Amino acid sequence: MAYVALSEAEKTFILHGVEEDFRCDGRSRRDYRPMELETGLVSNASGSARLRLANTDILVGIKTEIDVPDPLTPEFGKLEFFVDCSANATPEFEGRGGSDLAQELVLALENAYESPLAFDYRTLCLIPGQQCWKLYIDILILECGGNLHDAVSLAAKAALHNTKLPRVTASLLDAGVTDLIISDNPYDCTRLTIDTVPLLVTVCKIGDYCLVDPSAEEEACSTVSIVVSVSMRNGEAFLSGSHMTGGGAMHRDTMRNCLNLGLSIGEQLNTLLAKVLKQEEERVGPKRPKTVGFLK
Amino acid sequence: MQTLREFTRKTKRGNILKIVREHYLRDDIGCGSDLCKYCFQNEVYQLTSKHEIASSLFKFPHYLVLDTNVVLDQIDVLEEDVLHNVIVLTTVLNEVKHKSSSIYKRFNEIIHDRTRNFYVFVNEHHKDTYADRDPGETANDRNDRAIRMATKWYDTHLETSQSSKEFEQSGMANTRVVLLTDDAGNRAKAEAEGILVASASEYVKSLEDFPLLLDKLSHKTFDNEKQALPQYPAHLSMKQVLEGLRLKKLLQGAFQASRENYLEGSVNVETYEKGILIQGRECLNRAVDGDLVAVELLPESEWSAPSEIVLEEKNVYADDVPSEERAEEEKDMLKQVQQAAAAASAERTPTGRIVGIVRRKWRQYCGILQPSLIENTNRHIFVPADRKIPRIRIETRQAAKLQNQRIIVTIDTWPRNSRYPQGHFVRSLGPLGDMATENEVILLEHDVPHCKFSEEVLSFLPKLPWSITAEDYAKRVDLRELDICSVDPPGCTDIDDALHCRELPNGNFEVGVHIADVSHFIRPGNALDKEAAARGTTVYLVGKRIDMVPELLSSNLCSLVGGVERFAFSCVWEVDKEANVIDKRFHKSVIKSKRAMTYEEAQVLIDDATQQSEIAKSLRHLNRLAKILKKRRMDNGALVLASPEIRFQVDSETHEPLEVEAKQMRETNSMVEEFMLLANITVAEHIAAEFTECAVLRRHPKPPPTNFDPLVKAARYQGFQVDTETGLVLSHSLDKCVKEDNPYFNTMIRILTTRCMMQAVYFISGSLQKEEFFHYGLAAPIYTHFTSPIRRYSDIMVHRLLAASIGADSTYAQLLERKSNEELCHNLNYRHKMAQYAARASVGLNTHLFFRGKEEDEEGYVLFVRKNALQVLIPKYGLEGTLYLKTDKDGKDGVERTKSEVIFTFNEEDHTQRCGNVVFHSFDPVSVRLSLDSSNVQHEKLVFRLVKPYIKGFSVETSTDADIPPTKKTKKDTKKKN
Repeated sequence: MAYVALSEAEKTFILHGVEEDFRCDGRSRRDYRPMELETGLVSNASGSARLRLANTDILVGIKTEIDVPDPLTPEFGKLEFFVDCSANATPEFEGRGGSDLAQELVLALENAYESPLAFDYRTLCLIPGQQCWKLYIDILILECGGNLHDAVSLAAKAALHNTKLPRVTASLLDAGVTDLIISDNPYDCTRLTIDTVPLLVTVCKIGDYCLVDPSAEEEACSTVSIVVSVSMRNGEAFLSGSHMTGGGAMHRDTMRNCLNLGLSIGEQLNTLLAKVLKQEEERVGPKRPKTVGFLK
Repeated sequence: MQTLREFTRKTKRGNILKIVREHYLRDDIGCGSDLCKYCFQNEVYQLTSKHEIASSLFKFPHYLVLDTNVVLDQIDVLEEDVLHNVIVLTTVLNEVKHKSSSIYKRFNEIIHDRTRNFYVFVNEHHKDTYADRDPGETANDRNDRAIRMATKWYDTHLETSQSSKEFEQSGMANTRVVLLTDDAGNRAKAEAEGILVASASEYVKSLEDFPLLLDKLSHKTFDNEKQALPQYPAHLSMKQVLEGLRLKKLLQGAFQASRENYLEGSVNVETYEKGILIQGRECLNRAVDGDLVAVELLPESEWSAPSEIVLEEKNVYADDVPSEERAEEEKDMLKQVQQAAAAASAERTPTGRIVGIVRRKWRQYCGILQPSLIENTNRHIFVPADRKIPRIRIETRQAAKLQNQRIIVTIDTWPRNSRYPQGHFVRSLGPLGDMATENEVILLEHDVPHCKFSEEVLSFLPKLPWSITAEDYAKRVDLRELDICSVDPPGCTDIDDALHCRELPNGNFEVGVHIADVSHFIRPGNALDKEAAARGTTVYLVGKRIDMVPELLSSNLCSLVGGVERFAFSCVWEVDKEANVIDKRFHKSVIKSKRAMTYEEAQVLIDDATQQSEIAKSLRHLNRLAKILKKRRMDNGALVLASPEIRFQVDSETHEPLEVEAKQMRETNSMVEEFMLLANITVAEHIAAEFTECAVLRRHPKPPPTNFDPLVKAARYQGFQVDTETGLVLSHSLDKCVKEDNPYFNTMIRILTTRCMMQAVYFISGSLQKEEFFHYGLAAPIYTHFTSPIRRYSDIMVHRLLAASIGADSTYAQLLERKSNEELCHNLNYRHKMAQYAARASVGLNTHLFFRGKEEDEEGYVLFVRKNALQVLIPKYGLEGTLYLKTDKDGKDGVERTKSEVIFTFNEEDHTQRCGNVVFHSFDPVSVRLSLDSSNVQHEKLVFRLVKPYIKGFSVETSTDADIPPTKKTKKDTKKKN
């Protein structure tokens, strides 16, 4: 994690603020910082999104490829996450500096997406046992301002929503192998349903209290956090995975509190994200005239 | 200005990619009209007010914009020099190119004709006329919209130019832009947008000055469906194939395409003697010659007979859809064949269709690129040299460079929706017609390993300077004092046999055959040995030799050249005066050949009575003994066979053939041959006795009686009875086939006999019963190859076995292993067969080169009388060819038949062709004119034309060559159904 230099006094100040439920930037413990989201801004990718959470800046691009399903799960498609910690974010990421962090994020996402209840891999299947889509979810961290897990998962979900898979029809069965035919209309696409796609919520323990969306400074004060992945099904929030980061330990009750907090926050985030994405699409229409993001 | 174009594309490997391209829009593209005052015109005006056309529909000057469908359907109208001032949009041009390359080419020619005033407007890159594709819009709709946009733009653009005061003062009528389209939807939309529009036929009708143009109007609409539809039935999956084979529903075998007819082939299946016939494109179902396929037998009612038609595929172009017509043609042909077969039910053979491919045997193919219609296209059709292989679609950017080269192409896939397999360019062999290139083609096509010997192989050669050590002398019998000599064809550098003969005190003779001791140099198991085993044999092409072992061995250390000490493996007999073998022994030796002679020199030495040297004497003894041996062999039933063999005199610089001569047989040839046979048989007996399980032997199976049918029939027509019961009887009856008036008759009968024979093969003694060891041609109960180890690997194996048996060399595990030896034999048989074919192909190639630009009248003989042709043999060149005649059967076949044409009648009874009072029998002497037909670069062929006997209207006029009657026939012209 990006290193932030804090003095003892500063740490105490932050700690006291959390105790008072009035954090340095005026938020309560359950509040998020403001976010900016834009999708479909990378024209070369099948789906893309850029999310800015205060100072944290994430760009996600999704590429598609045709692959052969694993023999054990012939009806499942495939996902592959890749996180690149850009040296733009912090000089520490230079070279292989960010690889540990990247690895951690990839593991957290894979863990969250692992269950077929969280992500319906069947939608990526073309011909069971023969051909399926493989999505490469490439995540680029452009700036680190704390709470990477949440930001990354939000951006990934938004990018999945934006992903357009060319419509493929199967034909020409030859020697048991099917040939695929793609529609010549680039607008003739299928979309993924992202209702159940999980989000990660980092619940951070500072002092005796738990809070969400820690800023980089707050992360420096925390001894332990728990990353909760929340998936929505039929309007209800489910836990699809969790893992702890940081060196400290957690009491059983605290952990239960954290999980509950994560779940309820996750539910809110999911609904909000769905709403925002819907709004954006209505505003932009199927053919994006111009991107407003930093890439233009 | 720039915009993005997005599209999805499927890669070769089946992946689907989203591709985004930047598309640049410009504001400096001129409209090409001389009316315009605004545009920057980068070339001379193409649209001028000079050409005005009177149309009753549009009674003012106008420019035309063509829709794609108008170009495709009415290209004939466009080619007429009537329409001028036409704006060609790049949208339209691209669509035309995509749909039909031939129309595109014609259209391009019109565009390049400056007098036609066709202006290409790059609307796709013009900032005002570029149409971005809307969601939900098909590609076609988008193109229509782009066309309308451009038309509209032109109209308003010209209007602004013409609204100036100056123009009004000039008093000229306003020029408008008219869109011609046959698409009702597009037309309706154009009208709604206020564009002047008409259909092609309306417009052409409105041209009062050109009423005749109406005739050119096409009413057919261009078929818009571009392939995509599968042209072949699907193959079964591997699982289904295996299941089918297990349940015996399907049969498995190697597919053999027919050389003559590209729509026919057969599958060799064990249970069917003649194989299963496959007819028609769909039944062939993408099988390529050599593939292991699964076949489904058709019900007996649908069985057919081989068509015996020569059918060559016509040229096609890479971008073209196979036209309906051709598919129809093929179907018709198939139907006819099947009906004919139904009539002659006796000839019907099991017929099937290919349902799956078990294993592809695709290799790399030599051939040439077919010239393509469009310039700068990447897609091309490759025509393989081997006619059994279908054309192959390839993509290459260097077509222009490869146009006149022999190239190698390999097949990648053959999808169901493609008429031809798809492949890629591998490498170029060199320019067409070049001797080195053509030799390379022959070697590749016959799978002859001919690359240079690798460093590793060469590392096992003895180091130079090489000399014989004292140790060697101690191990070997010293025969340096004997008068040994070798007799070989002229120019031979790989001498592997030498002979000697001397009188013994007891009045008997000691005869020795000394064979180069190659196995001394090639030790088993090393790289050199492996390479030699893989090559199997030395391949002789005209003017070129592809060695089995590196030259140091073949032409130097192993070669028994005169006057030099060499290692040999000797087989020495003691024979009495009547050539009966009294004693025999084998040993390794050191010899010093006194002289290396040619057959001719040896013959002179024998015949010249004044020569009394030891060599001359021993040669005379040998010659006498050989005659006795030969007689004895003949009495046993050995066959004297004949096959016309020729030699080329090759120019040492250009490697082009200068002269052709038939090989001469002298007594000395037969002398050497007899002793080699004796040595081979003696060694065969010895090793077969020593190694009952793993001796390498050679057998020649007796041909099945049906093989002799053509021979027996041919002889019967001439009034001779050929008995084929046993070799002995056959040999006797062949001797009797002599005709006083036709000295060549006997040779021809023997040539026919040769063709009835089976292939002789190597085998391992343990794999067959003793009775099957028989060599039919030589009438020997056992035989092997021992005498040419420099050029045959089998002989090296025999040498090793022999050496092991006499304790001259150690054995090793592999030598005695039956399995590996069997595999080796298999490879040797294959290599030998291929080497023979390659040699024959090389002779054929040189014959063609020899006749290039030449015409010669030659004496020949009719070998066979066929239903539509005479098979003619030219003894001088050992050449056989077909002289096509046309038959008079109902006149169905002769499309280009003229009335004056000569009519031949075929008599089935005695196999003769009659025309007037001229009758052709088999074996009749004829005189033919030979010339080379180079119309097909890939398959040049010799054309035979009759000179004598003279038939008016058919034979070549000997006096006036300029007026050659229509007898020059290609195979296509003589397509026949019977």
